[in-house]
Amino acid sequence: MRSRRFGLSMGYLAAIVVLGVTVVPLLFVLLGGFRTNAQINTDPAGLPGPWVWDNYTAVLGSGAFWTFLGNSALIAVIATVLAVALGSMAGYALSRYHFKGREAFYTLFTLGLLFPLGVATLPLYLWLRQLGMLESFWGVAIPEAAFSLPVTIVILRPFMHAIPGELEDAAVLDGASRLGFFWRILLPLSAPALTTVAVLAFVTSWNAYLLPLLVFNDSAHFTLPLGVATFQSQYSQDTARVLAFTALSMIPALAFFVLAERRIVGGLTGSVKG
Amino acid sequence: MFVKRRIPVLAALAAVVPLALAACSGGSDTAAQPSGPVTLTWWHNGTTDPLKGIWEQVVADYHQAHPDVTIKAQPLQNEEFPTKIPLALQSNDPPDVYQAWGGGEMASQVTSGKVADISDATKPWISGAGKLAADWQADGKQYGVPFEQHIVGFWYRKDLFTQAGVTTPPSTMDELNTAVAKLKTAGLAPIAVGGKDRWPDAFYYNYFAVRECSSDVLKQSVKAVKLEDPCWTKAGQDLKSFLATQPFQTGFAGTAAQQGAGSSAGLVANGKAAMELQGDWEPGTMSSLTDDEQLDSKIGWFPFPAVPGGAGDPAAALAGGDGFSCTTRASKACADFLQYLGSEPVQTKIAAAGAGLPVNTAAAKSLKTDTLKTVFDYGQKAPYLQMYFDKAFPTAVGAALNDAVANLFAGQGTPEGIVTAVNQAAAGNK
Amino acid sequence: MTTVTSPVRAARGPRPSVPAVPARVRRSSLRKRLELTLLLGPALLLFAGFVLVPIGIAAFYSLFNWNGFGALDDFVGFDNYADAFTGSVFQGAIGHNLIIAGLSIVVQLPLSIGLALLLNRKLRGRAVLRALVFAPYVLSEAITAVIWLLMLQPGGFMDQLLKGVGLGGLIHQWVADPGLVLYTLFAVITWKYIGFGIILLLAGLQGVPAELREAAALDGASAWQTTRHVVLPLLGPTIRIWVFLSVIGSLQLFDLVWIMTLGGPANASTTMATYLIDHGFKRYEFGFGSAVAVILFVICFVFALLYQRFALRRDTEGALTRMVG
Repeated sequence: MRSRRFGLSMGYLAAIVVLGVTVVPLLFVLLGGFRTNAQINTDPAGLPGPWVWDNYTAVLGSGAFWTFLGNSALIAVIATVLAVALGSMAGYALSRYHFKGREAFYTLFTLGLLFPLGVATLPLYLWLRQLGMLESFWGVAIPEAAFSLPVTIVILRPFMHAIPGELEDAAVLDGASRLGFFWRILLPLSAPALTTVAVLAFVTSWNAYLLPLLVFNDSAHFTLPLGVATFQSQYSQDTARVLAFTALSMIPALAFFVLAERRIVGGLTGSVKG
Repeated sequence: MFVKRRIPVLAALAAVVPLALAACSGGSDTAAQPSGPVTLTWWHNGTTDPLKGIWEQVVADYHQAHPDVTIKAQPLQNEEFPTKIPLALQSNDPPDVYQAWGGGEMASQVTSGKVADISDATKPWISGAGKLAADWQADGKQYGVPFEQHIVGFWYRKDLFTQAGVTTPPSTMDELNTAVAKLKTAGLAPIAVGGKDRWPDAFYYNYFAVRECSSDVLKQSVKAVKLEDPCWTKAGQDLKSFLATQPFQTGFAGTAAQQGAGSSAGLVANGKAAMELQGDWEPGTMSSLTDDEQLDSKIGWFPFPAVPGGAGDPAAALAGGDGFSCTTRASKACADFLQYLGSEPVQTKIAAAGAGLPVNTAAAKSLKTDTLKTVFDYGQKAPYLQMYFDKAFPTAVGAALNDAVANLFAGQGTPEGIVTAVNQAAAGNK
Repeated sequence: MTTVTSPVRAARGPRPSVPAVPARVRRSSLRKRLELTLLLGPALLLFAGFVLVPIGIAAFYSLFNWNGFGALDDFVGFDNYADAFTGSVFQGAIGHNLIIAGLSIVVQLPLSIGLALLLNRKLRGRAVLRALVFAPYVLSEAITAVIWLLMLQPGGFMDQLLKGVGLGGLIHQWVADPGLVLYTLFAVITWKYIGFGIILLLAGLQGVPAELREAAALDGASAWQTTRHVVLPLLGPTIRIWVFLSVIGSLQLFDLVWIMTLGGPANASTTMATYLIDHGFKRYEFGFGSAVAVILFVICFVFALLYQRFALRRDTEGALTRMVG
């Protein structure tokens, strides 16, 4: 009993420390949006005084913010769905099928981890141009999905592998095909890992800067990070307004995570009992 | 990258060969000029006002005067040009008009075969752009036209000078060192510099070179892309002695030049530093970094001081410019448009808005502040204008120069090392 | 307990190495191949098309001196590679990457594990806590860099904070001091990615059944012993994945460094990736840049290969497969 209480209070202590370190810079961004540049400049660590609404209202009122938001969302959703769908299928094949060259294929996918997107930029750009995919959402979403595949597969494979074989045996006894097992049993059981990889893919796409920069010239197609850069340039180093824009840009990705998080907690470890 | 499987390698090769062939076919095409109505795509860096508004007006006005020419303007962030232009010039539809800074960078772009030689189209009117236009030539041919010129000098706060007891702006290095000492005693950062971005550091070396080397040596060195004259090393030594007086703000190596109130421009704008060696864009940059409405009245300008014993003319100036280049598809229409940009009405708008120094002398009287007029006149009277070396030299060499100078600023490297770095980069060593 | 029919290795005790499939259920070879094609094919196609092809192209460019314009006509073979390795700046960059990778394992890993364990309890507001811990990961690197730059300015937020709690003596030039800048960057990286590690480990902890811990507690094990002998080994695969991703991430570090320091001051914080963009892309030396990219790739590849062989091998045998009873 005592160790349980000790554990809990250590837990709370850790929570507070982590919270502090994590949140303070985020508060800096959030509150910075409520100040003027002069305030930020003279008293960097201070609270807003007076509270200025202009920055947030200006950002929310500009049609540009919502356009960028919509573009980012569309691309991120496409990239995530592609990466998770294809990645989970590949993960299943690589974790529970037995075939020659399986490890080789797995290694091939992990190769993709070793090459940051920025480095492949020039050849990727030329290749996209050849395929006629410039200035289109697919031109961003598809490469993003491709580059998210390695992480997805690396995370999903051990997870799927760890699911006990008896479940598969049982399903097969009940007359299900292996694909049926995949669709009806394995996937639901993999929900925590699927959620994790979905969140990772979504966030990676959401924050991507270099690829959209190269693919899009028309500002109507820009995603949020591009928008922030454009915004920053347009309001020439208007720190307060950039902070407001930043704070607002964080919210969708965080919201997605919170919603997805419930799915993890919503639990399922109980299902693998006996 | 060495993929272990053979099949992917073959597949990669199969994909690569057609691309390589495509790259090879970037030969110059004597493009027939499009007849009839023409749409020009225009990439410029005016993403913020005042330039943004001015360019929008220009597009409308030009269309009214030339109904068969429609201009599709695409503002791009300034820092994106070095990334986007090479990619665009690789493609089959680069922009018709794009921002260009001349010098060695432009010469590289010309090798793509897509940049138009507009010597003939511009001959009747190019003299209006002044001696600066020569920087947009390669091999004696005109490949672009400047619309704005830049002069680099010391921007200073009159109020802080007064506070520290500096009565007149320094005109020699000794006077500058004295002023620095006085400002330090008064508890002020004497000079702000954006060390993080490296190019502001280079301005110092550039100017010491302009003071130490005769204009002939400068021209010849840039042409040959080789630093042989001892004046280049002497310039490095001058820089080292200057750095030893510790004239900069604390933590200058991490300070950005123009972004945010903590940048070097921001420091001067908010009265935290007394001087900055920068181009004529400085007042415009500063105004967005402070709420001080009276800023213009507090700012003055003086040229880089004379250096004793230097072979360079003490009135020579470090300069540059902004301009545009044309690609081959619609080069005649593009050249005509560039002529319009250099015309008095447009140039006057630019000068009056404080967007930059005009190349058109008639427009100079409309310059926004007296300080800017001073800068303009100085540039006009200068016996010699040297383009900043990182633009004058090919890009790789210019970058090596900036790096070597930044090292010196950080207390590493030697004056001789700067010369060696440039020569090595020029020889193709990386 | 089913018998192991895997031809790969003999079973030892109750832990077979691969999930066994009873012989009578084994699919026909053709059907299996069809299923595999359907499952693996699309991912493979996407991956090969948009990741492998560009890599191949980059490798091709690396053999030339090419300024990005015009024809590829200056074949130099492996000169670009030689130039890279003999350059002191690139050597420094490799060193910086290795330092960051090493620090990640030595500092971030224990921190992540400890925090994940502590946060795995039923604390009130756990969902909100997890969301907040994860928040820095969600920020784009560009924004993170801008925020921290603002906070680390001389006389800025951080300095004010330290003075406020009486630790003014600890103030340094976080970003302008060549001797300190790499560690400042590491601190910012830790801030940004620790949430990722914690979430990953928390997901892994979900796979540690409560019954095992209860069983251990019933057997008289203390919390620490349970952690050390039950939880940690079961977390093994997750930890090994984390180390893998973390080292690779350290080797590829770019965005944050680029925006915060541009690799400076005086090349004190260059990474292989910033070097490649700075000396390759930005100087119009695409052939050289491609060569550096290939070098970066090969280094990562060698690490991945060795790691796969020695560290991850055990995971394909399955560290957690069978439930007792």
